[in-house]
Amino acid sequence: MLKLIGGLLVLAASGLGGWQVSRSYARRPVELRQFIAALQVLETEITYAATPLPEALGGVAEQVGVPVAFFFRQVAGDLGAHRGCSAREAWHKALDYYGPRSALGASDLGILRGLGNSIGISDREDQSKHLRLAGEQLKIAMAMAEDAAGKNVKMWNYMGLLGGLVIVLALY
Amino acid sequence: MSRYVIPKSVHTIAGSARITVGVPAGAWRQIASVLPSNLAEMIGRVPLRYLADLEEIRLRRDRPLMLGLGGSDYFIRQDGTPVSESSGVYVVNAVDLEKVLHNISGSSMYALEEELKNGYVTLPGGHRVGLTGKAVLENGRVKTLKYLSGLNIRVCREIKGAADGLIKHLIDRRVQNIYHTVILSPPRCGKTTLLRDLVRQVSNGLPGLQLAGRTVGVVDERSEIAGCHRGLPQMDVGVRTDVLDGCPKAQGMMILLRAMSPDVIVTDEIGSMEDIHALEEVFNAGVRVIVTIHGSSLRELANRPALKYLLQLNIIERFVLLGRSRGVGTVEKIYNGNDLPSLGVKMCLS
Repeated sequence: MLKLIGGLLVLAASGLGGWQVSRSYARRPVELRQFIAALQVLETEITYAATPLPEALGGVAEQVGVPVAFFFRQVAGDLGAHRGCSAREAWHKALDYYGPRSALGASDLGILRGLGNSIGISDREDQSKHLRLAGEQLKIAMAMAEDAAGKNVKMWNYMGLLGGLVIVLALY
Repeated sequence: MSRYVIPKSVHTIAGSARITVGVPAGAWRQIASVLPSNLAEMIGRVPLRYLADLEEIRLRRDRPLMLGLGGSDYFIRQDGTPVSESSGVYVVNAVDLEKVLHNISGSSMYALEEELKNGYVTLPGGHRVGLTGKAVLENGRVKTLKYLSGLNIRVCREIKGAADGLIKHLIDRRVQNIYHTVILSPPRCGKTTLLRDLVRQVSNGLPGLQLAGRTVGVVDERSEIAGCHRGLPQMDVGVRTDVLDGCPKAQGMMILLRAMSPDVIVTDEIGSMEDIHALEEVFNAGVRVIVTIHGSSLRELANRPALKYLLQLNIIERFVLLGRSRGVGTVEKIYNGNDLPSLGVKMCLS
């Protein structure tokens, strides 16, 4: 009986572990898609309405889903609080907080960090170029992330459970 | 040195006892919010008797910070003491300027494109920031400014009651309406302040003179009358006033005429033939007009073709001539349009 409970625990633990890994693969393309959509909204706000960043980013935060909305809300909040905080500082600060908590990889965060260096500092035309460039880069990253997700999500789900099963059988 | 800020001696228009207009705490807070914290604190330490007369703050890169206080300018020390010689005073650096720009633009330089083209930005509260730097040209016109090197923050003070003494001369009692009025003034004589207060009073109505409030349409090409920040008037321009901010005057008058059915159309500094033709349309629609013109005499107007044409239309009923003979904003003369040459009575309103 005790053995059975132990075996079930091992199975559950490894199953959950596999599910965790697969979920992070599944979340990455979703977050990237949200970022791409967010940058498109931001570009519209900037090029057509020349809305200042605190308002524009606040607007973006309302239009995209969580968790990406949290990032934009934080940047908007920091900028809105004024006192000489540049868009770059606020963007990077929010990214530092958001990055480790997201499913994004280092390369994805690198693209966003690069965008942070140019956000808000030039005219509309130039801003549009930077936003589009980042958008294109994120699209490529998303295609790769989707590929990886397609391969890995199911695999890790099964791996977790089957791996657990192997351990249980070996120990039984 | 140009000052769009109207000095406090505008009280001569009001015709009453001297109005002391210090910088209200609200105005200082609005200005401090765009300054980097070190500058805001330093200027905040300037003794109140000086700070109450704050007219402008000038930031020039690598040169001393300068405050315009009550008509003369001062450098300031780190501890906030205003001094007139430039040793040991605070020198503005590139970071200060950058921070001010961040604060003004909400860290979004692209949002200031139009403003950079015009060389000034209006802040919440109607304060204006003039900008200089290197102009970037496109087709011979200024496209934007880069390498910004100088900022001039001009404190805005609206003077309610500036038109108190004048307005009764501008009401046609037979029809209880406003006369077609031209305010004629050399620069820096308080015409925009006067115009703003006229707008407010006409818009709110004057029960004392049996004038009901009128719908007023203001074309504010340089954002000086209503001091709009993001389209919202920062000064009290009355409850029945519609402001078209940043719009060229001739186009703006047509838009207001067609879209907002105003009773009175107001605009600042007309002068081109295009403006006069737009005014003709306004006259034809039966809408009253209050405009200002740069100039110091009617004779001078007659020498400018567009304005000569306006005079020949013979439709303006009141010409108000401003000057500074008794301080900024003195109403020197009010001419009746019907008998222009003869009526030359000096009206003393103070």
